[in-house]
Amino acid sequence: MKDIFKPLAVAAAVLAMPAAAVAEGWTPPGPITMMIGFAAGGGADTQARLVAQGLEAKYGWKVLPQQVDGNSGLNLVAELVNAPTDGTAIGMVVSESLTYSMMAAGNPDLQIDKFTALATTASFQTGLVAMAEGNFNTWDKVAAAAKAGEQIRFGTASDRQADVAYLFGKAAGIDFNIVPVKGGAGVMNGLRGGDLDIGWVAGAQSKPVTQGEMVNIASAIPAKLKDSPDAPLVTDLGSKYVLDGYFMFVAPGNMDPEARKALGDAIRDVLNDPTTEANGLVTKVFGGPDVITGEALDAKMSEMNTAAATMLKDAESN
Amino acid sequence: MSEVLNYIWLGVLAVFTGPDLFSLFGIGIPVAPIMVLGGLLTGIAVGATPGLAGPMAMAISLPILISIFGFTPDALLPVFGFLIGIMKGATVGGAVPAILFNMPGTPDALMTTLDGYPMAQSGQPRRALRIAQLSSVTGDTFSDIVLFVCAPFLAVVVEAYLDLPEKTALLILSITFIAAVMGSSVGKGLLAVGLGLLASFVGTGQSLTPRLTFGVPELSGGFPLVAAILGVLIVGEIFKGIEDLVRGGNSGRKGAQTLAEGVKDRLQPGDIRRIAPYVGRSALIGTIIGALPGVGSTLAATLGYSYATRRHKARKQPEDTAFGAGAPEGIAATEAANSAVSGANLIPVLSLGIPGNAAAVFLILAADSIGGFNPGPAVFRFTTPEVNPELVIAFGIFTLMSIGNLLNWLIGGSFMRSMGVLARIPQHILLPVVLLITLTAIYVQETSLFALWVTFGFGILGYLFRRSDIPVLPFVIAFILAQPLEQTAREAFAATGANPWFLFSSVTSAVFMLASLAAVVLLGRNRM
Repeated sequence: MKDIFKPLAVAAAVLAMPAAAVAEGWTPPGPITMMIGFAAGGGADTQARLVAQGLEAKYGWKVLPQQVDGNSGLNLVAELVNAPTDGTAIGMVVSESLTYSMMAAGNPDLQIDKFTALATTASFQTGLVAMAEGNFNTWDKVAAAAKAGEQIRFGTASDRQADVAYLFGKAAGIDFNIVPVKGGAGVMNGLRGGDLDIGWVAGAQSKPVTQGEMVNIASAIPAKLKDSPDAPLVTDLGSKYVLDGYFMFVAPGNMDPEARKALGDAIRDVLNDPTTEANGLVTKVFGGPDVITGEALDAKMSEMNTAAATMLKDAESN
Repeated sequence: MSEVLNYIWLGVLAVFTGPDLFSLFGIGIPVAPIMVLGGLLTGIAVGATPGLAGPMAMAISLPILISIFGFTPDALLPVFGFLIGIMKGATVGGAVPAILFNMPGTPDALMTTLDGYPMAQSGQPRRALRIAQLSSVTGDTFSDIVLFVCAPFLAVVVEAYLDLPEKTALLILSITFIAAVMGSSVGKGLLAVGLGLLASFVGTGQSLTPRLTFGVPELSGGFPLVAAILGVLIVGEIFKGIEDLVRGGNSGRKGAQTLAEGVKDRLQPGDIRRIAPYVGRSALIGTIIGALPGVGSTLAATLGYSYATRRHKARKQPEDTAFGAGAPEGIAATEAANSAVSGANLIPVLSLGIPGNAAAVFLILAADSIGGFNPGPAVFRFTTPEVNPELVIAFGIFTLMSIGNLLNWLIGGSFMRSMGVLARIPQHILLPVVLLITLTAIYVQETSLFALWVTFGFGILGYLFRRSDIPVLPFVIAFILAQPLEQTAREAFAATGANPWFLFSSVTSAVFMLASLAAVVLLGRNRM
């Protein structure tokens, strides 16, 4: 298959090559396989595909998106770890796949040091979300209902979110019914259908919140939420932990430094260019691009990894 | 109300203002309606070919369509258009060989041979085909209208009144019902369902380590959906067909009818008035049967025909042709009933996400592969001012179905008359071609040889099912529903505060569970 693709890709690259690409020092030795760790058609998937489109348009590189979803991104990293390190294989996941999830799964061959972080695309705007017209549209109402003995259904989309919800409940003296659902879309569907009362959403709630259908009753990141600056931080409500993180591109470990820099810079250029569709989507859905690359990214990853380790220990001992 | 109308309008617009296929005199021709036409003609051709059936054509074209249109939400309507076209075309086309050669093109056209073939034999093949087409399209249209009205209503009711435990119980009830009504015995149906669930549990679940993969890394995402389903449904059927060929069990092809002289071969005056009541009754029967998941068009055709026989006997005038001797009412009753199943069959799919027949399986498969549309109660959420894109797609699908019916009315008849020649393609050429196209199509979508091995393995499974007289469709439906079932059950369990008796925590869910039990017990007893 690859033998067929290569000449085709070269032909496509030549035809589509804009002037910018000529100036670049590094070009991929073949088409780039972009694995996407999210279900097809969702916001995160679209984001990855638009970045792929932007890379093709801006640099003339051939990018082949491919769905490798499931298991909180662990299916993707398991496939990526053995892929070539020359920049022809990259993957899009969330940072917690590389930190919390890999740590919790405990496979020594799949840990953060086996991978090269390329670039973040957008940061989580995780909020504790409820329906605007519902009975739980402020934290005080949630706490009061829980005091009155009402069972509260708390939607979570990953093990890490479930752990934070559990520890948050512990700290606040509430025994939540923690309901694991599929993705932020699953949480919002559950809220709308009345199957859930509150839940974590990592950014996809932006549109319903700005349109007044839902509210962020608290911010689950260490800062105020862009859409709801008045919402209190969960850390002020008693939670020891937050749900910060990034959508990001990752590559196999020990990557050629030149390739790493070129890919990271290219992704940054696509996302920060206001004329690209990728920029448009990230701005509309994920609160704007937030690109970190190189050593700054390594420092960020190690910081998040330490935080994940602390929380995992806390959750296990509880 | 105005928001409903608004959504309907958006759905219509989505079909007609989608991406253009080409432009004619400066006017863009939207791709979705053209795809319906293409699908319809393909469907009629496929239905007219004994040994092929609508689901088979849908299965083969799905991966090809996806590779053409890609995985963006823009692809949904063109792909659905083609699939719906096939679905509609095949129900009409099945009557062609049944009438001309006494050979049902699709299993549900068996009853059509009873009166269609004698009428063709007596020198009126065109009249028979015309009656079949009119009845079929009428039944289909009626059923579609019921779908348009009922599916949103049912979805809204389900979403408003059913909590997670009830939704879980409803899924269990549907799967049990399907197991109980399909195939020769309840036991075999349950076996098929059990195996389907088991196959779907591979590699899925919520643990960070994928389950049941036996260390095969390719399985960590589960069996590829398309490969598994096409394997069981299509490749299994081909293996069985090859075996039949080898054993020489292939039914001989009958020659063309000898035409009697001097008989006018077109619709007779009074035909329409004569068949109208039969079409109406059969359309109703077909629609009711179709709305129940798992009960197929063959049963609808049989019921429609036997009710019509009874009525015909009671009211027969001396000069009327008797049933079985070429009565137009017989053709009409069968064709209206089996075609009326197809629209109503989509009621459980669109409103609950539960596929009731093979055609619905492929619509779900298309939605699942492309993404951006998840059939289920959440689709019919009339949100304002934010437009719910899934609802627009749903109304787009309704629009496509209406276009399909219109085209079927206008050109279906003349096209099906030219399809008689297809019944002469020998099986030993047809089967390898279908096998080759199926494998190519799967490879196009999955681009891995592993997927082909999975297809082959599931093909053998499908063959063994057919050899042991175990129905394959319950297996496929359970395979598809296993994940929603597990997900909903987990959610319900967690939401009720880890109550192990959550399935019996409310009256509604307890009733659903009792109904599942009753389905197994009662339907099992009737069969003996």
